[in-house]
Amino acid sequence: MTTGPRQIDPAEHRYADELAFLAAADGGARPPGWRLTPRAVVTFVAGSGGKPVDGPGKKKRVIDAKFIGERALVERCVVTLAGERGLLLVGEPGTAKSMLSELLAAAVCGTSALVVQGTAGTTEDQLRYGWNYALLLAKGPSREALVASPVLTAMTAGAVARVEEVTRCLPEVQDALVSVLSERRMALPELAGIDDATVYAAPGFTVIATANLRDRGVSEMSAALKRRFNFEVVPPIADLEAEIDLVRRQARVTVERVGAAYEVDDAVLETLVTVFRDLRTGRSVEGWEVERPSTVMSTAEAVAVAASIALATSYLPGRDPLSLLPGHLLGVVRKDDEADQGRLLAYWDGALRRRAGTGAHLWRQVWEHRDALEA
Amino acid sequence: MTPSRRDAGPPVDDDPAVAVARLAGSDAPYLIGVRHHSPVLAAAVPALLDSFAPDLVLVELPEEFGEWMPWLADPDTVAPVALAAARTGPDGADGPLRFYPFADFSPELVAVRWAARAGVAVGPCDLPLAHPGWDAAPGPADETDPGEPSLFATARDRMTGRAGEDLWDRWVEAPAPGSAPEAVRRAALAVGWALRHDAHSGGGVDPRDLAREAWMRARVAAADGRRVAVIVGAFHAPALLTPDPALGPALLTPDPALGPASSGPTSAGSEATGARREDGAERARGPARAKRAQISLVPYTFDLLDARSGYPAGIRDPQWQQGVVECGADPSAVEGLAAAFAVRVTSALRAAGHPAGPAEAREVARLATDLARLRGLPAPGRGELVEALQSTLAQGEPVGRGRAVARAMSDVLIGARRGQITARAPASGLLPSVRRLLGQLRLPGPGDPERTLRLDPLRSPLDRRREVALQRLVAGQIPYGSADQISGVGGADALTTVWRLHWTPVTEASIAVAGLYGVTLAQAAEGRLRTLRRRERADDGPTGIQALAGLAVAMACGLAGLVRVRLADVAQAVGQGGTLPEIVTGIDLAERLGGGLVPALADPPDGLTDVIEELYAAAVRAVDGLAGSDDLNDARALLALVHRADAAGRRLRLDHALARMADRGTPMMQAAAAAVRVVLGLDGAGAFGERLASWVDAPPIEMTQRLRGALTVAGPLLEAGDATVTPLLDRVEELTDEEFLERLPGLRGGFDALSPAARSRILAMVTDRAGDVDPTLAEDPAVLAVWMAADLAGRQAVETLGMDSGPASSGPTSEASGARREDGAEEAPGPARAKRGQISRWRLVLGRQSDSLPPGQRRLATALDELYGAGRGEGSYTVDGSGGGGRETAFPSVREWEEELDVLFGTRVREDVLARAAGAGRVDVALHLRPEAVRPSVELLHAVLSLAGGMSEARLARLRPLVARLVAALSAQLARTLRPALTGLTSPRRTRRPTGVLDLPGTVRANLRTARLGPDGRVLVVPERPVFRSRARRSIDWRLILLTDVSGSMEPSTVWAALTASVLAGVPALRTHFLTFSTEVIDLTDRLDDPLRLLLEVRVGGGTHIADALRYARGLVTVPNRTMVVVISDFEEGYPVGALIAEVRALVESGCALLGCASLDDRGTARYCVGVAEQLAAAGMPVAALSPLELARWVGERVS
Repeated sequence: MTTGPRQIDPAEHRYADELAFLAAADGGARPPGWRLTPRAVVTFVAGSGGKPVDGPGKKKRVIDAKFIGERALVERCVVTLAGERGLLLVGEPGTAKSMLSELLAAAVCGTSALVVQGTAGTTEDQLRYGWNYALLLAKGPSREALVASPVLTAMTAGAVARVEEVTRCLPEVQDALVSVLSERRMALPELAGIDDATVYAAPGFTVIATANLRDRGVSEMSAALKRRFNFEVVPPIADLEAEIDLVRRQARVTVERVGAAYEVDDAVLETLVTVFRDLRTGRSVEGWEVERPSTVMSTAEAVAVAASIALATSYLPGRDPLSLLPGHLLGVVRKDDEADQGRLLAYWDGALRRRAGTGAHLWRQVWEHRDALEA
Repeated sequence: MTPSRRDAGPPVDDDPAVAVARLAGSDAPYLIGVRHHSPVLAAAVPALLDSFAPDLVLVELPEEFGEWMPWLADPDTVAPVALAAARTGPDGADGPLRFYPFADFSPELVAVRWAARAGVAVGPCDLPLAHPGWDAAPGPADETDPGEPSLFATARDRMTGRAGEDLWDRWVEAPAPGSAPEAVRRAALAVGWALRHDAHSGGGVDPRDLAREAWMRARVAAADGRRVAVIVGAFHAPALLTPDPALGPALLTPDPALGPASSGPTSAGSEATGARREDGAERARGPARAKRAQISLVPYTFDLLDARSGYPAGIRDPQWQQGVVECGADPSAVEGLAAAFAVRVTSALRAAGHPAGPAEAREVARLATDLARLRGLPAPGRGELVEALQSTLAQGEPVGRGRAVARAMSDVLIGARRGQITARAPASGLLPSVRRLLGQLRLPGPGDPERTLRLDPLRSPLDRRREVALQRLVAGQIPYGSADQISGVGGADALTTVWRLHWTPVTEASIAVAGLYGVTLAQAAEGRLRTLRRRERADDGPTGIQALAGLAVAMACGLAGLVRVRLADVAQAVGQGGTLPEIVTGIDLAERLGGGLVPALADPPDGLTDVIEELYAAAVRAVDGLAGSDDLNDARALLALVHRADAAGRRLRLDHALARMADRGTPMMQAAAAAVRVVLGLDGAGAFGERLASWVDAPPIEMTQRLRGALTVAGPLLEAGDATVTPLLDRVEELTDEEFLERLPGLRGGFDALSPAARSRILAMVTDRAGDVDPTLAEDPAVLAVWMAADLAGRQAVETLGMDSGPASSGPTSEASGARREDGAEEAPGPARAKRGQISRWRLVLGRQSDSLPPGQRRLATALDELYGAGRGEGSYTVDGSGGGGRETAFPSVREWEEELDVLFGTRVREDVLARAAGAGRVDVALHLRPEAVRPSVELLHAVLSLAGGMSEARLARLRPLVARLVAALSAQLARTLRPALTGLTSPRRTRRPTGVLDLPGTVRANLRTARLGPDGRVLVVPERPVFRSRARRSIDWRLILLTDVSGSMEPSTVWAALTASVLAGVPALRTHFLTFSTEVIDLTDRLDDPLRLLLEVRVGGGTHIADALRYARGLVTVPNRTMVVVISDFEEGYPVGALIAEVRALVESGCALLGCASLDDRGTARYCVGVAEQLAAAGMPVAALSPLELARWVGERVS
C-alpha cells in the first residue's frame, strides 16, 4: 500500500526495518502467532542498552529504547502476552501507556491497527460485531452481512487487539470482553444453524487495554473483567532530568512547528517541571508535604505550559518568562475544583516560600509573583 | 580515580575474573563470602565445609559472642533467634543496641551448627564490642565519583531496571538454584568484590570496616597452620587476603590485652563454664573495662527479621527464604514453592473478602516461571514471584485491592515463625541492668517497702534521670511505679510528678519478658514502643491519636530516635487527616520539644521546624472544615489557633480561610470569623461594629448564633466599648419596646456566651456610657402622679388637635403588658427616664444586676434566668454586687413558667423560648410543648430527640405525640420536595442511534416506501433508515445504603437522614437501607416504614469507625452497578485512615456509587475533617454538604 505523508506513522511502519532485523536475529522459540521471540520484543521496546545486537549476516545494530521506564515492567508485559492473557496498562494520564501498547502490538503481531477507542458512546458492536443492516434485511443473516470489530478480526488472525481507555466504556459494553477473554470464542447467535455460528480465537490472540487512573468517574470495570487481565501500573517519569528533557524536546517541537524561535531558559524549565512534580506527587523535592490539587499535573500539561511561555516570549518579547508562570499554572490547576486555587496558593505560601527563603534567586523571583494567584 | 581520596583500604585487583579466581582459590583461609541471610548459601555451606574439611571455622561475630556459640548450635535452640549486645558507655549511658539475628537461612548459623555436628572448633572473628575501632567515625556515604559509574550501577542497569534492585538477589540468589555449591560461593565472592571495588572508587571504605578487617586478618593469622574456613560478609572477603602492614598493627596495638592472640577460639563442644571463662569482655582490661558489653540470646520472629521492620541487615520475606533453604534450592522444588506461595496468597486474599481463585494462582505461577525463563534464571526468585503476584492480583489499585494483596503477601511471605532458646542458656541481661540502675538512682529495689516520691524533673538532674527511668519502665510494661495524675488546668504541664514505687515479684517476671526487646532499660522500652508502632502500622495506622500518644510517650522516655520516628508519624497522620484539636495538640507537643521543655531531651530533633510548619499548614486546611460548626468550642479553637499562628508569624494563608469562612460559614462561624479578623486587625472595628448591630434584626435563632460566635471571640473588644460596640448599643436602644421584647430571649442567648464577669464588665461600660441614674425616685410619688396626669392630659390635647404624638407613644411605660400595669406610675419623665430604660434593657440582655430592675422587668429577668441560668465561666459562682442574690424565686413548675412567659412575651416568643429550653436539655419543658401549637422544624425535632435518649419509657410515651406530629409534618413536607426528583421509570424508546437492538417492525414500517418486488417474486424492503430500541432503563432493584454516623451527639443531619431515608423507602424501584454506626453498626432498615420508631431507635454515642460501617455495607451489595452508598458523617475517623480508604476503594472498584455527606441539612455548610475528606474524595467518594433535596436529585440521576 502506498502511503502519503502522515502526521503520525504507526509503530510497525516507523520501525519496520528494526522489526525485520530483530525477527531475523533471534531464531529462538516463539509463542504461537508471534513475529519475534519474547526476548526480542523486550529488546525492541526497552532497547538493547547501547550494546549492538547480532543480526543475520554478521550485521550488528543498536536498538534504541522507545519506552522510558523500567525494563522489568516491559518484561512482565511481554510474558503476560506470551501467556495469551489480557494485559491492562493503567496509570496517570500522560504516562505513555498507549504508546507502550502500540509498540507491543506492533512487535508481537506486526500490526497495531486493531484498536478500539473507548468512549461513553462505545457500543457492544465495536467490541463484538455489527451488521450491515441493508444486507442483513435484504439477504438475511450471513457471514457476509457481519461487520467484524477489531477484536473479532484479531481473534480470527491470532493477533493483538487493543482497547484504549477501556474504563470509559459503559460497564455492560466492557463486559463483552469477558467471554472473549475467558472462552476465547465468540458466538454469533444470529447465525445459529449455519456452520460458522461461532468464531474461535486463533493462537496468539490477546488483548491489551489501557485505562487512566484519574478519570474513573465514568465507569469502573467489573470484577469479572478485571480478573481476566494482568495489570501493569505505568508510573510517571521518575527522573527529574529525564522529564525536563522530554518537556524541552516536545515544547521545542510545538513552538517550532508554528515557526517561532524557542527561547526558554533551562532554569525556567526546571522551575516549571519541579513545580509540576511537587504538585503531582504531593511532596516537594525536599520532602515537604504539599497539598495536591485534584487536577492531573501531567507531563503533557507541563509541555503545554512550557510551549505557551515560549510562544509568549517569542511573540511578545520583553516580559520575564517567570512572571508568566503563576498565571499559566493557575490555568492548569483551576479546572474543576475551585479549592485547587487555594491549594496552589498554599503551595506558594508553603514549599515555595521556604525555598525562596533559602536564598535561591529563581525561587525568590517566582515567589514574588504570588499576587497573580490571588485573583 | 582521584588521588585525594581518603581511601586507606587494601588495594583490589582490577580484573574481575582474576580477582574472583584469587579469592575462590585461597585455602588459607578458605573464604565463604556471605550475606547474613542467604538461603542459597545456607543450603550450600554444609557441602562447602564438608569438601574443605577445616580444622577451625571463623564466623563474623564480635569476639564476646564466643561463649554463646554452644547455645546457638544447641539442638533445642530453634531459629530465628538473635544475639543482642549493648555496650555500656563510660558515663553509664546505654550504647547502641546490636542485634545479630539468625535464621535457618543464615549461613553463619548453618556453619556453627555444622561445626558442632562435625566436632570442629568454631570461633568469632570480628572486632570485640569493647574495641575502640567500633567508635571510628563512619566514612562518607554515597560519594560516588560521577566520572566513573560504579560497577554496581552498571550491573543494575543491565538487569531489570527496577528501582531498589538488589544486586545480591540478582547475582547470587536468583541464578543459584540447581548450580553447584562452589558456583554459588564464587558468585557471592564476585558480588563482594564488586561492592568492594565500588567502595574504593567511591568514597572509600568506612574506617570501622577497616579496623574490623584488620582484626579478622589477625585472627586468621593466629590460627597458624590449621585449616581455617572464614564465613564473613562478602564485602570483607577480599580484604582478608590482603596483608596490610600499614594498618593492621596500628589498630591492634593500643591494648595488647585485647589482642586476639591471647584468646583461643572456643570449641563448640566445650562446656559452657569453660567458654565463659574465656569470655572476651571479662578479659578486657584498662580503659575498655568500663565499656562492658551485655549480651543476651533472645528468641526472634520472622516479622522482626523482615527488612520492612526496620532491621538494617534484614531480608525480605523470611518465609520464602525459609522455603528455599528447606527445599535445598533445587530448581524444580523452588518452582513448586512459587506455586505453593501463589496458592496461599490467593487463599489469604479470598479470606479477606476479595475474589481470587485457582485460576489466578495458576497465572501467578505461570507468570513467575515465564519471567524467570525470559531472564535466563533456573527458577523464579523472590523478585519474580512478587512481580507476578502484583501483576495478577493487585489490579493496578495501590490503595484498594492492592492493599489487601500486600497484606495477604506479607502474611504469607513474611510468616509468623518464632524462635526458641534452649533452656540451658543463661538468662538475659536486662534484670541486672535494671537493678543496677535503680540502685544508682536510689530507688527502691527488691525487698524495699513501697515508697511515694515527688519528682521535680525540670530542676533536679537526679529527678530528671529518675523520671526518665520510671517512664521507661512504664513504657516497657514493667509494673513498678505508677504516676499519680497531676496535670495543670486545661492540659497545661504539671511541673512535678508523684510516683508510687514498689518492687514486686511481678516486676521481676515482667523484666524477664521485656528482656526480649533489649538488654538495657532504654532498649527494652524502645523495643516495646517500636513493636507497638509496628502493630499500629500493620493495622494501617498509626492514627492521629496513636501517633500523638506515641510521641508523648517517646518524649517522656527520652528516646531521641523514637521521637524522630513518631514526629514523622505525627506529621503524616495528624498533618494529613487530623482534626483541629489533634493538630493543635501536635503543635503543642512539637513546640514543647523545640522549646527544650522536655526533661530528657535537651536538643530538639532535626526536622522539627518542618513538622511544625506542616502542622500549621494542616491547621489552616482544617479551618475550612469548621465552617459548618454550631459548637462554641470550635469558635474558641479557631481563636486559639489564630493567636498561635499570629505569634508564630504564620498567618498568610489563614487570612484567606477566614475571609471564606466569614462569607460562607454557619451564622455562628461567620460571626466568629469576622470577629477574628477584627482581632487580627484585618478588618476595621467600625465595619464590624455595623455588621454586629445589623444582626440584631436577623431572625431570632440566627441572631443568637451570630452573637454567640462574635462575642466568644470578640468579648474583650466589646468590654472596651469602642467603635466595635457602639452601633450595637445604639441599635438595641433604638428598638421599640415590642421589638425589644421579641428579641430579648435571642439577645440574652447571644450574650450568654460570655462569662458572668464579662457581662458585668459590659454592663458597667454601658452604664458609664449612659451616665448612671439613681433608681430611687427623686420626688414624692404623689407629686409624680400629678405630673404624670398633667402630661397625659397634655398629650391628649395634642392628639385631639391631630398632631403626631411622636416618640412619647414608645416610652418605657409600654414596655410589657406586665410592666404597663405596674411601672407607669413609677417612671419619671425626661431624659433620665430614657437612660434608665436603656440601662434596664442592658440589664435584661446581660442577665446581670436584675434586682436593680423595676419589679415588672424583674419578672422578665427571672423568666429568662430560668432558661439561661447564671452562666458559665468567670464569675459564675461569685455574687456580683447586686446581681444573682436578689433574684425572685425560681419557678416551681414549668407550667407556671410557661404561663408567665405567655403573659410577659406573648405566644410566639413563648414557644421560641420553650424550644430553646428543650434544646438546652430541659426535659420537663419538652414534655410541656403542645404538639398542635408548635411550628414543626427539624431543629425542634432534633432538640426533642436529643432528650429522648435519656428518658424512661413512661416519659417517652408522653413525648411521643409531639415527636409523631413533628415527624409526620416534616416527612410530608420532605416527601413533597423529594418525589419530583425521583421519577425514574421509563420504558424503551425507539431511536435511530444503533444500539444493537434492531426494532424490526419499526424498521419495516419506516421503510415501507422502499418496498418492491424482487426478481424472484419476494418482497424486498431496503432499510434506508433502520430503527433501534433504546435500552430499557434499569429502574428495578436499585439499592441505596445510607450510613449515618451517630458517634458524637445527635446531629440535625441524623434527623434529616432518617427522615430522608423513610421518604426514599417509599419510592418503588429503590431498596433503601438505613444503618447507623459508631464503633458498631446497627441496621435499622426494618424500621424505615415508621420514621417515628426509627428516630426513637437511633442511639447516639461512641467512637467513629467508618471503615467498619463500609465493610458491613459491602456485605449488602449484590449488584454493585446498581448500588449507591451514602455516608453521612463528620469523617473524624477514630481508626486508621488507610483502612477506611481501602474500604472506599474496594467499594468504588466493585462499581458502587459512593457519596459522602459532610452534613445533610438545609444549610449547605458542614463541620467535618478536611484532611480525611480530601483523601476520600481522591479515593472516589466525593464529599459535600448536601440538602436532602440535592441528595434525592443525586439518587434520581443515578437511577434514571
